[in-house]
Amino acid sequence: MSDELGGTSATPFSGVGTAVWYEAGVDLPEPPDPDDVDPAAERERVAATREEAREQLRTERDRTAERVGAAEAAIFEAHEGFLDDPRIADWIDDAIDDGLPAPHAVDRAYADAAAELEAAGGRTAERADDLRDLRDRLVGILLDAAAARLDDLPGGTVLLAERLSPSDTAGLDPEVVAGLATVTGGATSHAAIVARSLGIPAVVGVGEALRAVEAGATVGVDGGAGTVFVDPDDATRERLAGGDAVAVIDRAVATADGRPVEVVANVGGPGDVDRAVERGSDGVGLFRSEFLFQGRERPPDEDEQYAAYREAAAAFPDGRVVVRTLDVGGDKPLPYLDAPEERDPFLGVRGVRRSLGPDADLFETQLRALCRAAADGDGDGDRDADSDGDRDSDVGDLAVMIPMVATVEELDAALARLDSVADDLADEGVAHAVPETGVMIETPSAAFVAGALAERVSFLSVGTNDLTQYVMAASRENAGVADLNHPTHPGVVRAVARTAEAGHDAGARVAMCGEAAGDPRLAPLLVGLGIDEFSAAPPSVPRVKAAIEDVDAAAAERLAERALAAETRAEVEAVLDGDG
Amino acid sequence: MERTVTVVPEAGLHARPAAAFVRTANEFDATVEIGRAGAAETVDARSMLSVTALGVEHGDEVRLVAEGDDAGAALDALEAVLSTPEEGEADADDGGTPPGDGDDESVSAGGEPS
Repeated sequence: MSDELGGTSATPFSGVGTAVWYEAGVDLPEPPDPDDVDPAAERERVAATREEAREQLRTERDRTAERVGAAEAAIFEAHEGFLDDPRIADWIDDAIDDGLPAPHAVDRAYADAAAELEAAGGRTAERADDLRDLRDRLVGILLDAAAARLDDLPGGTVLLAERLSPSDTAGLDPEVVAGLATVTGGATSHAAIVARSLGIPAVVGVGEALRAVEAGATVGVDGGAGTVFVDPDDATRERLAGGDAVAVIDRAVATADGRPVEVVANVGGPGDVDRAVERGSDGVGLFRSEFLFQGRERPPDEDEQYAAYREAAAAFPDGRVVVRTLDVGGDKPLPYLDAPEERDPFLGVRGVRRSLGPDADLFETQLRALCRAAADGDGDGDRDADSDGDRDSDVGDLAVMIPMVATVEELDAALARLDSVADDLADEGVAHAVPETGVMIETPSAAFVAGALAERVSFLSVGTNDLTQYVMAASRENAGVADLNHPTHPGVVRAVARTAEAGHDAGARVAMCGEAAGDPRLAPLLVGLGIDEFSAAPPSVPRVKAAIEDVDAAAAERLAERALAAETRAEVEAVLDGDG
Repeated sequence: MERTVTVVPEAGLHARPAAAFVRTANEFDATVEIGRAGAAETVDARSMLSVTALGVEHGDEVRLVAEGDDAGAALDALEAVLSTPEEGEADADDGGTPPGDGDDESVSAGGEPS
């Protein structure tokens, strides 16, 4: 029996999968006898819980900023606002005075607060979900309840829930979740916004009828129409499964008029290499080596790093894996690094500045591991090959990319370290090769001296997020300057153009590994500016490839010229939209 | 001290803009109350719940009432928050940024790997 349930479209995508019900929230036990409750102790519990929740919210904000975007991450700031609400705090106190223990007091106060917003109706009522999420978080901490896990769902899941908190949604893997549908919630709920950013098919506010859908049923989510299909017929199934999903393009791509463009993936975690391969990536344009260093007591040793880099290169026998050397900021030091707190960590000792200074040993170890792993590649484009000549052609090439370079001197020093490490390995009789080298262009200075940098390396790679932040002097962490944080501001467009031109003049490849490279809308502009290689998050690779195949390079160059003549962001946007 | 301000953020005084407003109100010693322009009722500007419950939308006018040594500065700062357009939710509404973490940001060591 096929059933259609109407709801509100939260994303335009569609998908089909197997229903899994997700139960958020934590059930409270029976409260103890009021005489057994010590109000002072319960107040302390609430205070400690509030601080732990604050930590969690900030961590999730950072995680979401990385996975989804800064704007979506700011959701958690709203939660923090409700965490410190003086009225709710008073209600909790009152409830404790009435003899309730902390979890029950928190539950009652936040339920009352949610009811107040709900009564207001409209958009205000949607914010009641934020209070319920916060309630669940606080009660969960108080009862020490393990958070419900959404990160080990089977592939092809259509997630059904009463509602989903933004943190639940931000943790979802778009490769696994074929769709989601909720009983409550509106198009402007945070969950809907996050789902949109992750490209997950979603219908919200389906209502009570959704509850009748049994786990294990086949469910289709038509985001565009805002419809949920239970046991859809074959035709509907096919339509939704084909829907707006972009087919993996498993071939090298070129523009419509034949200019070859490489589309590769950014890798920021253990599963990303596999995801990149699955999504048809030609290689890796940004391997964030930080993830090998995080969440542990001591840094990975040379052998461990060698194995990790070699494994990544082996996943792309015909491609290239660009490993960015350790790029850590001074704001949250690794526990085993001696990094004092800095006033302006993003303008402080980070990236290559650390590698040439306090982290010189770590840098050397990393370079040794990279030289060893590079020896297993087929060696195309290596600056220097070692003598054994016994190359394993099933392993792709490795390249080294130096982050946060501002001066030619820094690059020279880093390259000298690489050469000296290679010399050491030769003296020791260890198989190695000097990998191809590149520079990340993310400081305005690097863009200005891009020509001199490009003469020393094989490629430049524009990191648009940091470049935008530094060109615009606008922190990515600060919502107050979010307007300035766009790669379509003329200043940023011109910095990219300058970099591409200088790189090409020096015979270097010019890549882009910032977020802008994953935005299909920007593809014509970037091709026109001369970007040869696009590196995007794995889920974005197919749509970037598809976008490149639609670009006419000659037309893109004319478009880029118009964009370079633009004086305002609005004018650049108009050019992109074909109105300028 | 009193001032009437038109709310600029697309999202009105919800979520992020409300959080920014409340956070700013907390930075001053002055007590600040906010209400709809023309209405007598005002609420504590430090309460996210109260501010959100006002249901103020983009284009609405609100009245700010501040008392205390730094009341003037508080009103200036709050007016700035209310007058600054806000990106993000509106962005996501029209497709916004593509999914994924395709960025070049410095990963703060000790943070979650993406």
